[in-house]
Amino acid sequence: MDATTPDPKPLLACRELRKSFGPIEVLHGVDLDLRSGEVHAIIGENGAGKSTLMKCLSGYEAPSGGEILLDGRPTRFAGSGPAESAGVVLIHQELALVDDLDAAANIFLGREPTTRFGLLDRRRMDREARALLDQLETRVDLHVPVRQLAVSQRQMIEIAKAVARDARVLFMDEPTDVLTGTETEVLFALIRRLREAGVAIAYVSHKLDEIERIADRVTVLRDGNHVATKAVTDTDAPEMARLMVGRELTDLYPDKRPAPDAPERLRVRNLTVPGYAEGVSFELRAGEVLGFAGLVGAGRTETFEGLLGLRPARGEVFVNGAPVRIRRHEDAHRHGLAYLTEDRKGKGLIQSMPLTPNLTLQALRRFARPLIDRRAERAALREAIETYDIRTGRVEARATELSGGNQQKLVVAKILLDEPRIVILDEPTRGIDVGTKREMYFLIRDLAASGLAVVVISSELQEVIGLAHRVVVMRSGRVTGILEEHELTEHEIVQYATGLKNRGVEPHEHAA
Amino acid sequence: MKRISILLAFLLASAFAWAQDDVVTIGVSIPAATHGWTGGVNWWADKAMNDIQERHPNVRFVINTAGSATEQANDLQDMVAIDQIDALVILPFESDPLTEPVAQVKEAGVLVTVVDRGLIDPTIQDIYVAGNNPEMGRVSCEYIADRLGGEGNIVVLRGIPTVIDNERVEGCMEVLDATNIEVLASEYANWNRDDGFEVMQDFLARFDQIDAVWAQDDDIAVGVIAALEQANRQDEMFIVGGAGMKEMIARVMEGDDLIPVNVLYPPAMIATAMEVTALYYVSDVPVLGEYILGATLITEENAEQYYFPDAAF
Amino acid sequence: MSTPPDAAAVPWTRRIPWQTLTPLLGLFVLVVIGAMLSDSFLSASNVTNVLTRSAFIGIIAVGTTFVIIAGGIDLSVGSMAAFVAGSMILGMNWMLGLGLAEGVVLALGIVLAVVLGLAAGSFNGFTITRGKIEPFIVTLGALGIFRSLVTYLADGGTISLDFAMRGLIRPLFYGSFLGVPWPLWIFGAVAVIGSIVLHRTRFGRYVFAIGSNEDVARYSAIPVRRIKTLTYIIQGLCVAIAVIIYVPRLGSASGSTGVLWELEAIAAVIIGGTALKGGSGHVWGTIVGAVLLSTIGNVLNLTDVISNYLNQAVQGVIIILAVLLQRGRGR
Repeated sequence: MDATTPDPKPLLACRELRKSFGPIEVLHGVDLDLRSGEVHAIIGENGAGKSTLMKCLSGYEAPSGGEILLDGRPTRFAGSGPAESAGVVLIHQELALVDDLDAAANIFLGREPTTRFGLLDRRRMDREARALLDQLETRVDLHVPVRQLAVSQRQMIEIAKAVARDARVLFMDEPTDVLTGTETEVLFALIRRLREAGVAIAYVSHKLDEIERIADRVTVLRDGNHVATKAVTDTDAPEMARLMVGRELTDLYPDKRPAPDAPERLRVRNLTVPGYAEGVSFELRAGEVLGFAGLVGAGRTETFEGLLGLRPARGEVFVNGAPVRIRRHEDAHRHGLAYLTEDRKGKGLIQSMPLTPNLTLQALRRFARPLIDRRAERAALREAIETYDIRTGRVEARATELSGGNQQKLVVAKILLDEPRIVILDEPTRGIDVGTKREMYFLIRDLAASGLAVVVISSELQEVIGLAHRVVVMRSGRVTGILEEHELTEHEIVQYATGLKNRGVEPHEHAA
Repeated sequence: MKRISILLAFLLASAFAWAQDDVVTIGVSIPAATHGWTGGVNWWADKAMNDIQERHPNVRFVINTAGSATEQANDLQDMVAIDQIDALVILPFESDPLTEPVAQVKEAGVLVTVVDRGLIDPTIQDIYVAGNNPEMGRVSCEYIADRLGGEGNIVVLRGIPTVIDNERVEGCMEVLDATNIEVLASEYANWNRDDGFEVMQDFLARFDQIDAVWAQDDDIAVGVIAALEQANRQDEMFIVGGAGMKEMIARVMEGDDLIPVNVLYPPAMIATAMEVTALYYVSDVPVLGEYILGATLITEENAEQYYFPDAAF
Repeated sequence: MSTPPDAAAVPWTRRIPWQTLTPLLGLFVLVVIGAMLSDSFLSASNVTNVLTRSAFIGIIAVGTTFVIIAGGIDLSVGSMAAFVAGSMILGMNWMLGLGLAEGVVLALGIVLAVVLGLAAGSFNGFTITRGKIEPFIVTLGALGIFRSLVTYLADGGTISLDFAMRGLIRPLFYGSFLGVPWPLWIFGAVAVIGSIVLHRTRFGRYVFAIGSNEDVARYSAIPVRRIKTLTYIIQGLCVAIAVIIYVPRLGSASGSTGVLWELEAIAAVIIGGTALKGGSGHVWGTIVGAVLLSTIGNVLNLTDVISNYLNQAVQGVIIILAVLLQRGRGR
C-alpha cells in the first residue's frame, strides 16, 4: 500500500472523510489524495460511495466528519460555487446543462464575460467557447439550445464548461458513458493534455479497460470503505474487479444455452420509424436472446420505441404468429411485450415516489380488486428485493435514494412483474458496476431459459456477443446484417456496424 | 322626471317632421352584464335601440359591452375609427380611467352623453344623465328612520368598494347620525346574491336584535331574504333594497311586510340617455345639459307605475 | 363529527396522510382566534353555516385535486358552475311548462346538471389531450365561453327558478338529516369517494404517476391521455354536484354566479398540501383547505376588529401563512 503514502504535495486530499444521510452512514472514513498531473481513477460497485465522495470533495455535499485538505490546508467548501472558485470542479454524470440555453451560454453560465457597458460580451463568449469545443473536436452550432444537441455533444459541452473554469482539480463521473469510441479518444487526448498542464483528474468509471489506458493510480471503494489505492501499472483489470466485488469474479457471462428450436414469438416486417429507421425486419423465438448492435445513433432505441407504440411508426408486427396493431404503448403491453428503457432516470422510475408504487406501476392491474391491495404491494416489493438483490437502506425509501445499479434492478423487477412474454432490454447494464452486470447477465440467461423471448440492445459488443444467440446489426436506421454463432465476433459486428459489410435489409432466414 | 316626459313628447312630435336622409350613428358603450343592475342596463339599451331605430330609420345605434375599463377604452377607439360615430352614450366602467379616452372621443367631434358615473372633468360631457347616489342613500335611510321612529338597530350590506357605494352610504349616514339608530355592522356584499346570503347569515349569527336591513341593492336583498328565511327570522325586521328589480317591485306592490319599499335607481336611465341623444339629431329642441333622476321611493301605492314585468331586471 | 365509512380494514392512522395535519393546525389556530373574537363563532348555527358554505368550493375542489395532481389546471370551474346552474334552472322551468310533475322535473333537472357537467368536463379534457393545448389556455378559453353562455341564457339578467319548484327543491340545501344539513352529507360523500378513488384505485395511482413524471407513466403502459381526460371529467362531475346543492339556495343564477370560484378551489387544494406542479397531494387536505377559506370570511364578518377595506388583504395573508406553515414542516 505504498501508493497511499501522502505525496509531498497533494492538491486536494481528504482524511477520514465521513458522510451520513440521516441515520445511514455511506462513507466510513475515506482517505484520498489527488496529485498535480495525475489521473486518479476511483472505482467501486454501485453504492460503494464513489459519487458521494466526489460530491463531498467538490462542495456539493457537506461531509459529516473528517477533513478536506486543499494545498495541504484544511478547507470547508460552503457549496459548489466556492469549490469552483478554488479550482475544484465536478463534471456531472446527469447532464446538468440548461436545456434552453445554447452551448456558449452554458459554458459561461454564472461567469459570463461582459463588455465595458455591462452587457454580455457575446463575441468573446462565442470565440472562447469555439476554441474549447475545437479542442474536443466537437462541432456544434453555438446558437441552438443544447436540448437540440445529441447526448454526446452535450457531454462534451459539459466537459468544456468545466475546463473553462480553469480547474486545478477535475472530477469526471462516467464521462464516456454516452460517448462513441472516437469521441472517447478525443476526450482521452484532452485528459492527457490537462494532466501535462498539472491538473489533478479524478476519474470515476466502470470501464476497467479505460482505466488501464488512461489512469495513473486507482483507488477502490467498497461499501463506503477505502479498500486500496494502487498504481495502475501494478494491477490489472481482474484484480481491480476482485477488489471491487470483494471476492473472485468467475466467468462474467453465463454459459450460453443452445439456440432454441422453439416457436416464434415475435415477427417484425418492414418497420419504419420516420426519421430514425427504415424497413427493419426480424423475428424472435421463445427462449432466444436476440442482440441488437450498432453505433450510437444507429436508430436501435428508436426502432423499438416505434415498434412498442412509443413513437410514430408503421410496419407489420406478428405476436405468436398473429398480426397485431400497436398504436400505443398500452397495446404492446397487452400483447405481452415489455420494454426496459435506456433512460431509467427519466423514463424508468418516478424518482420522487417510494419504491413500492414504482415497482407495481406497470402491473397495477394485478393489485387492484378493484381497490389496491397495499399489503400485496408491499409483499411484492419484499419479494423483488429478495429476488433481484436490491440494496436499499429502508423499504420506505424513494427511488431517488437508490444507487444507479439498484435503480436498474428495480426497473427490471418492475417490467418483469407483469410477467411479459417478450422483453426488450435497452442498454440493460449502462452505468452499473461489474458485479451487478454479472447478475444482470445471469438474469437474462435465466429469463430466456424460462421461455421468454429477449431482445438486448447494447453498445458494448462484448456484452452482445456474450449473451445473444443471434445479433442484428444496424447502421443509420437500417439492418445491415443478422449474425449468428461463428459470425459473432467483434471484428465481424464492427464491419457491419460501420457499413463495411452489408447484407441488405432482408431478414436472415433460419433454415426451414 | 317631468322634464323628461316633456322631452319625450317633443321627440314623438318631431318624428313626423323628420325627413332628412343623413344617417346618424350613435355609439353606446356599457359595462357587460355581470350583475343584475348592469344586466338591466343591457336590456334597456337593447330595447331603446329597437324602439328608437323603428321610429327613426336614419338613427343607427352601435352597442358595445365591456368587461373592464381597459376594454371599454379600446371600444371607444374602435367606435370612432371603425363605426365613425356621431354621438357617444357611455356608462363608464370607472370614472378616472375613462376620463381621458372619452375626452379624445370628444376631440374627434363627437357629441358625448355620460350616464350614471360622472367623469372627473365634467366639461367633457354635452349631456349627463344620472341617478342620484347620495340621494338614494338619503331616501333609503329616511324611510328606515321614519319607520323605526328614530331608534333601533340596523345592519348595512354594502356594494363593491367604489365611489357609488361611498356616496350612497354617506347619504344614508347623514340621515342616521341625527337619530338614535345604531348601525350594528356593515360589510361588503359586492352587489351579489351569494355574498348577500353569506354576510346576512353571519349578521344573524352575530346579532340577536336587528330591526332593519339596508341592503342597498336588490341582488343583495335576494340573498338577505334567503338567509332570513333559513334562520326563520323574517318577521323580526324589514329590508330596504334598491334599484327597482321587478321581483322586488312586485313584492312591494303586494304589500309584503319584509320588503315594504324600494328605492329607484333605474337601469332604464340608459334608455333615457339614448332617447335624449337621438333627440339632439331628430329635433330642434335644446337638449344639452344635466338630467339627474330622482331616487324615488317606491311604496305599495305607486309601485304599479314602476313595474315592468318584461324587463330583465 | 361524522366518521366516514371505512372502506377497507386499514387503520385510520395510515389512511390520513400526516401532511393533512398541518392545514388542520392552521384551521385550528383560526378557530381559536374566531372563538376569542366572537361569542357567536362556535354556536351550532354558525358552525353549520360555515361548513355548509364550504361545501360548494369543497366539492368542486375535490375535482380540482385530481386535475392538479395529474399536472393540469382548470380555470373554468366557476363559469362552468354558473353555466350548469343556469341551464339546470332553465331546463326545469321548461319541463314544468310541459306539465311534468315537480318530482320528475327535479329528478330530470339533477340528471341534466350531471350530464352538462360531464359534457363540459369532457370538452376541457378532450381539447387538452387531443388538441395538445396547454390546460391553462383551454380552460381560460372555457372560462370565457361558459361565462358568456350563462349571460346569454339569462339575457344579461338573472335566471330564476319557477316558484312552483321552490318548495320541493329547497330541502336539498336547507333540509337536514340526523341534524346534519344535506349539503354536508353530500360534501362528505364526495370527499370519501374522492379520497378512495384517488388513493386506493389504479386510476388514482396513475393520476399521481402522470403528475410526477409523464414519461415514466407513458413508458409504463399507462393510458396517459385517457387518465388526464378523466380528471377533467371528474372535475365537471364535481361542479355538477356542487350546482345541485347551489341552485336550491337562492333558486337563481346569473353572470355573477361563481365568479372566482376557480381561484378559491385552487387555493383550497394548495392550502391542503397538494403541489401546484402535480404529483403529490391528497383529498383530505383539500377539504380542510375549503373549510379554512370559508372560515376566514366568516370570522371577518363576525368581528369589526379589522377594517372592511382590508378584508381581502387578511384573506391573502392567512392563505400565505397556511401554506407557509405546511411547507415549513416538510423541511
